[in-house]
Amino acid sequence: MKTIVKMENVSKDYGQGDVVVHALRGVNLEIAKGDFAALAGPSGSGKTTLLNMISGLDKPSAGKVWVDEAEVTAMGRTAKSRLRLNRIGFVFQAYNLIPVLTAYENAEYVLMLQGVAAKERKQKVMDLLKQVGLAGMEKRFPRELSGGQQQRVAIARAIAAEPALVLADEPTANVDSATAAALLDLMVQLNEERQATFLFSTHDQNVMDRSRRLILFKDGRIDQNGTPAELQANK
Amino acid sequence: MTFLLHAWRNIWRNGKRTAITVVAVTLTTAVLIVTLSLMRGFGDDMVHNATRLVVGDAQVHEADYRLDRSIYKSIANPDGILQAAQKAGIDAAPRSFSFGLVSSGHKSAGAMFWGVSPAAEKTAFELAKEMFEGSYLSDQAAGQVVLGRKLAKSLHAQVGAEIVAVVQAADGSLGNELFQVIGILKLAGEEIDRGAAIIHRQDFDSLFVSGGRVHEIALNAWDRMSPEQVVAKVSPAVSEASVAQTWRELMPQLASMVDMMDAALAIFGFIFFLAAGLGVMNTMLMATYERIREFGILKAIGASPWRILRDISTEAFVMSVISTSLGAIIGVAASLYLEAHPIDLSVFGSGDMSFSGVVFNPLWRATVDQQTVVVPVVVMWIVCVLASLYPATKAARLDPIRAINHV
Repeated sequence: MKTIVKMENVSKDYGQGDVVVHALRGVNLEIAKGDFAALAGPSGSGKTTLLNMISGLDKPSAGKVWVDEAEVTAMGRTAKSRLRLNRIGFVFQAYNLIPVLTAYENAEYVLMLQGVAAKERKQKVMDLLKQVGLAGMEKRFPRELSGGQQQRVAIARAIAAEPALVLADEPTANVDSATAAALLDLMVQLNEERQATFLFSTHDQNVMDRSRRLILFKDGRIDQNGTPAELQANK
Repeated sequence: MTFLLHAWRNIWRNGKRTAITVVAVTLTTAVLIVTLSLMRGFGDDMVHNATRLVVGDAQVHEADYRLDRSIYKSIANPDGILQAAQKAGIDAAPRSFSFGLVSSGHKSAGAMFWGVSPAAEKTAFELAKEMFEGSYLSDQAAGQVVLGRKLAKSLHAQVGAEIVAVVQAADGSLGNELFQVIGILKLAGEEIDRGAAIIHRQDFDSLFVSGGRVHEIALNAWDRMSPEQVVAKVSPAVSEASVAQTWRELMPQLASMVDMMDAALAIFGFIFFLAAGLGVMNTMLMATYERIREFGILKAIGASPWRILRDISTEAFVMSVISTSLGAIIGVAASLYLEAHPIDLSVFGSGDMSFSGVVFNPLWRATVDQQTVVVPVVVMWIVCVLASLYPATKAARLDPIRAINHV
């Protein structure tokens, strides 16, 4: 299967001198296209840093990163913006919707940035909002939506541009377990129907259980990597 | 249009702060429009008094005449110049001048006699309308004189009075004539007020035995062309011994004053625009600081730095359009009021206000035109957008990770 993310000896150090923090230590990782993978590990183990490296939001201290065969670590600022716009979708823990935009406009925003025509945008976003269960809530502003609904809008925004990869940083951390399960169902459905690759960082056991691949992080290194069943068997 | 809607919503996130900025920019725009209109009114009035009453856009003289106003220094080929002016659609008035003595009763005074063609003067200039008493010369005016107001006062001459002119004629003889005062001019400039005795050219020729000499041809195009164009049109007919000059060359002090007024206005405007710009910059900086996290998110989902810069500048532009629209309404309304109800400056002085021989109208009237409204509005748009560039650039250059984690 085609590789969508490839990381080669990626390290990330923060600080200088005696107070250097090694957030990532020589990470090698490949994620296949269409995968539904979860990065798990304790806080500070490097999960979010890894997502930031993949998206080009942060630069590794050493090593190389590819997304969809394009080398992120060799890109300039504009090229990275374009990569995030066209190939990567983001779902944040705190939803991070734009407060002055309605649910519809938040989901539409990336398509606007891409220059998609208004008519096409409308059709896509309406279909998408319907698919994430927000039909009829298009005109609501984030403050008028529950946490779960806001995260649904965030998911719609992340996949609106049909990216090759969706990076989700603790997407279920701020919602109750029932909502988390519903969101997870939604993301599984989108993964299956749209063939979008999902890569999560998570503490949520439910997410880990539903993922097809689990990457366990410890002290900036990949401790274990395999299907949940394989990791269970290795215990 | 969507980005305009987003900009509109963003600027009203903090309604109170935006309202304060809008009020400040609105008032600045309004004050600038009123100031420009008043200054335009003052300048127009000044130039009008200087040029439309007697001087015109340009004049032709014998080259040295203005240094030595001798009756012998007359223009060669005046008819050719008058024809050239007529062909170019420029109104022209030929004039003859010479000094003499006038007396009325026991009073006498030195005077500058103007020999004019009344019909040409009435067509080309507005002095004939500026009568304090009586009327201007008629075309067939023989033995009639119009006096400057201060000259008439010093002679104690009123309309209907007779004055005696005693002059040295061009042929060296002593000329004298009796004239009836037909009119007294309003204040029109120091030279005219104190010395002008305006008579028909035929009377002038007869009194001074001048042989039809013309000392000045005053040209007026009534804004159909610039003074420089007027000079260019008649120049081919002007002999080498004569010179055609614009009013700016004829009255350099007045031209300097007009230029100084423009410069003062530019400095005044700069200070106002700077203050408004700093206000907008402060607002946009605070608005940007409050949205650091949001800009981080936008960058994370693929918004380019240029896009963020454009969005913030658009917000500043929308705010400036609202403010300048309100400012234009207030400014134009106030200026129109001052156009209809001028400020009476005579309450601050004697009512006789002049500079460089040009009398100013004591009623200070505003003049509203496209320029007095469009210039402050458009410059304010530019200032607001420029003022937003600093916060916009800061936002565009934010590190997305730090921005997302900003509390």
